[in-house]
Amino acid sequence: MSKFTNETIDLDLLPKYEDTQLTAPDPKYWNVIAINILLFLAFLGSTLTLFLIFNEQAKNHLFLWIGLFFLLAVLLFLIYRASFKRRGFALREKDLIYKSGVIVETTTIIPLNRIQHIALNEGLFSRMYKLSTLQLFTASGSSGNIHIAGIEVEKARAIKEALLSRLDLSETSSKI
Amino acid sequence: MMSFDFSTPQRQSTAGIIIMAAYTLQQVIRVMFVPMAILLIKSDKASIFYFIIGLMVLLAICLIYAYFYFLKFTFYLDEKKQEFIVDKGVFNRTHLAIPLAKIQQVNINQSFLQKIISVYSVALDTAGTDGKEVSIKAVNEKMAYSLKEHLLNGKSALQGGEHIVAVSLPQNNITEAPLIKINAATLLKIGLTTNYGRSIALLIGFAYAVFHNMKELLKAFDNDHGQIEQFFKSGFTLISISVLLAVLIILLLTTNVIRTFIKYFDFQISKHQQSLLISSGLFAKKNTLLSPNKVQITAYNQNYFQKKIELFNMVLKQAHAGKEQSDKETKNNNMEVPGCSPSEKDEIIQMILGKLPSSGTMYKPNVRFLNLPIFFEVIIPVVIFTVFYSYTTLVRPFLPVAITYVVIVLLMIYINYTKHRIMVSTDFIIKQSGIWEITKEIIEPHKIQSITTFQYPWHKSADVGHVNLHTAAGTLHFKYGNYTEIKQLVNLWLYQIESTEKTWM
Repeated sequence: MSKFTNETIDLDLLPKYEDTQLTAPDPKYWNVIAINILLFLAFLGSTLTLFLIFNEQAKNHLFLWIGLFFLLAVLLFLIYRASFKRRGFALREKDLIYKSGVIVETTTIIPLNRIQHIALNEGLFSRMYKLSTLQLFTASGSSGNIHIAGIEVEKARAIKEALLSRLDLSETSSKI
Repeated sequence: MMSFDFSTPQRQSTAGIIIMAAYTLQQVIRVMFVPMAILLIKSDKASIFYFIIGLMVLLAICLIYAYFYFLKFTFYLDEKKQEFIVDKGVFNRTHLAIPLAKIQQVNINQSFLQKIISVYSVALDTAGTDGKEVSIKAVNEKMAYSLKEHLLNGKSALQGGEHIVAVSLPQNNITEAPLIKINAATLLKIGLTTNYGRSIALLIGFAYAVFHNMKELLKAFDNDHGQIEQFFKSGFTLISISVLLAVLIILLLTTNVIRTFIKYFDFQISKHQQSLLISSGLFAKKNTLLSPNKVQITAYNQNYFQKKIELFNMVLKQAHAGKEQSDKETKNNNMEVPGCSPSEKDEIIQMILGKLPSSGTMYKPNVRFLNLPIFFEVIIPVVIFTVFYSYTTLVRPFLPVAITYVVIVLLMIYINYTKHRIMVSTDFIIKQSGIWEITKEIIEPHKIQSITTFQYPWHKSADVGHVNLHTAAGTLHFKYGNYTEIKQLVNLWLYQIESTEKTWM
């Protein structure tokens, strides 16, 4: 009991999550995003073409439609590029931070002792670039989980192993 | 004194065969109800005889099936693995193993039929990711309570090195003085003031079912010439709307009171070792044992009427399993205390959180909180109305309605803004929200699973942002706060979560 202390916590001296240096996703991941956007645009473009072929009235505004389509394409690329630049994650000693967001800037923090399980997910296009998505699950359901896309497979595995070993550690310590 | 040895496979109470048969029969009838009803109506007298014979055969088959189901249904406690094991199924055998540590709640219930043959059902709520629920449909009272005791305290007892699990049943668990007891007068008050929403839903469902069934019946008699629709049409012209409204309100209140009585009659909370034993119900008595440390969010709310008569409604939210669940399942995990006085409310909070939370520092949202709702709920409708107003004469008589709408909605948005608060003290976070019904949700920082902060680009210069605190029983949102303060709070909460040894469950 003599070791018990109860000092006042100085809020300004606490480690600041917002100042943490974040690791950006692998630059190759931009290619994956670009492929996805292109696929979406191709789908949208083909629908639009069909619409223009079969709708007599729309033909009068052909250039308007095409112009809108390209505007959307450019906007999509710009927004995703901006969001790609903003993405990042950091593994701190006691928690994991992930920042993302297309328009809204979202930061999610999961304390390591609240992680329920971890999964590695490799998508079709991600696999072509040897990238993977690290998924961290908590007991709070989908809203409080983190999916970090675009980490090199090797690195993701290393992080997963490190986190898992820590989970085991905390589990055994809590049992004693 | 009676004891049970749960280390060897146990069967249910023999009387349970009746329950099982009734249950099977009920399911069969539910599936075949409409064809059977039509058959019964359309058939002549001779075939009714065969129909009754058919029913008897069905009953016999159900009884035989129930008998085999009874034979094949066994359950026991595996001491070594610390698991509760259930084997069941006549054709498809199912082997369920539930780790004792994952058992959240043990509910002992009694339906009307079960009451007649004096057996109880024991249902286990698990926190497993599979969200599977186990229920044993028929055991006698002593075994039910003994089993509950074992399942909830089994862990410690087993670790104590006991080889044969045989714990005597405490005789006083029913006679123990309850912490809170809700009497009929309070129930009446509750029925008159709360939960209108659910009663409305119930009434609509009922009205639809009656309407639908009457049409079916008339169709069966080949007599459907749209009488019902006709009745409704003439009804609306005959009865003035105001009388109809009054009838509806009386109907609503009556349903509400009846529903409240059925669900919460003889509502009691008593302390049972480390847990709370909650029981209620008019026809079917529902018992729930709740351990305080499994409660994730402690919430209480009060609407305008309840405030006048000093009644609180409390909800104790427990962790729902990792997976997404339906609303119904989530609701099942929530324990509701329909009405309690301020002192009783404090007593429950004390039981669950260990002490009464001080309000701490209060954080208010920025005025920008008002922007979006005003834009979507006031400005856009007003613009649309104005457009119609200036081009057609059709909507002109509704001008007073429109003005009332704008005033009421503006007032509601403003009240919502003034009630949206978060109170932070060292040990607790209290989120307050609501318009008509003000809810306060209390959590302890170590129950937080993860934290999300977010900000719209156009709020950057104003330093406004939002924070979501995710817990295993739901998320607490605080919107439009000062982002610098929010970040500071998040850092504090992270420190609290990461430095404590306390687990969330």
